[in-house]
Amino acid sequence: MGVRRRSGAFILQVNPILCDGFGHCAELAPELVKTDEWGYPILKSDPVPLADAGTYESARYAERGCPRQALHIHRISEKKPH
Amino acid sequence: MIALTTPYLWYTTRATGIVALILFTMVVSLGTLVANRIGGTIVGRFEINELHRSLSMVALTFLAIHILTTVMDSYVPTGLISAFVPMTSDFKRVGVAIGAVAFDLILAVWISSLLKLRIANTSWRFIHWFSWLGFTTALVHAYMTGTDSRTGIGLVLVATCGAVVAAAALWRFFGRPTRAAGRTALSPLATSKDPVRATSDAPRPFPVSQRPTRERGRR
Repeated sequence: MGVRRRSGAFILQVNPILCDGFGHCAELAPELVKTDEWGYPILKSDPVPLADAGTYESARYAERGCPRQALHIHRISEKKPH
Repeated sequence: MIALTTPYLWYTTRATGIVALILFTMVVSLGTLVANRIGGTIVGRFEINELHRSLSMVALTFLAIHILTTVMDSYVPTGLISAFVPMTSDFKRVGVAIGAVAFDLILAVWISSLLKLRIANTSWRFIHWFSWLGFTTALVHAYMTGTDSRTGIGLVLVATCGAVVAAAALWRFFGRPTRAAGRTALSPLATSKDPVRATSDAPRPFPVSQRPTRERGRR
């Protein structure tokens, strides 16, 4: 696994063109993904700190498990004020 | 090539061939379940997908043993090249050639899946369609070259595997759901008697606890 950087944050993002609403992400990362009534994902828009290892692991499972490869983890080095 | 004359290599070839055929039947069927979006209530959809991936690794292992023992066995004159290139085997030229085609197709599907995160998803999907052709050629190979597949339980097995995958193919092409077939989990909307709620802006309960989710810490 190596050294995991603890600073910074990430956002799980979806490419809505590729997404076909399989719903695997909502099962793999329930803390980040909800589904709308058609089964498409509604992603948590707030950045999650990388120090939250469990959530980051879920995001990686969701990214890997997407049948359409529509998800990716966008890393941000600093927490953006919003 | 190493010449080995023990009959057990030949027995291993036969046995692993049969097991690999059964395993690939299961892999193709499970892949159809994923594509047709089965799961989400009792078992998660991701669990079927993971089973599909894991079982394909088991099937590939059996296929590797099947090919290696055939190549190593000196009873039948097949070389390592015959496992990849069709029409190079002196033993059952056409049957082994079809097996080589099946192996090449399965290799293409496997390698594209290993590179799935690096290649375009449309490329992966295009290559993944060839798994149907790979299974069909493997089935023909099993019938043509299989020592046990012409009579008795072997024939029943080959016919059953073919029938299962044929049913899966028909279901895949005629019974596939629309682009997004709705929520994966036990949704309050799925059982709601009041469909108006589906479009209302009111906050609604979200049954995370009822949803099959990956267990924390499991690989």
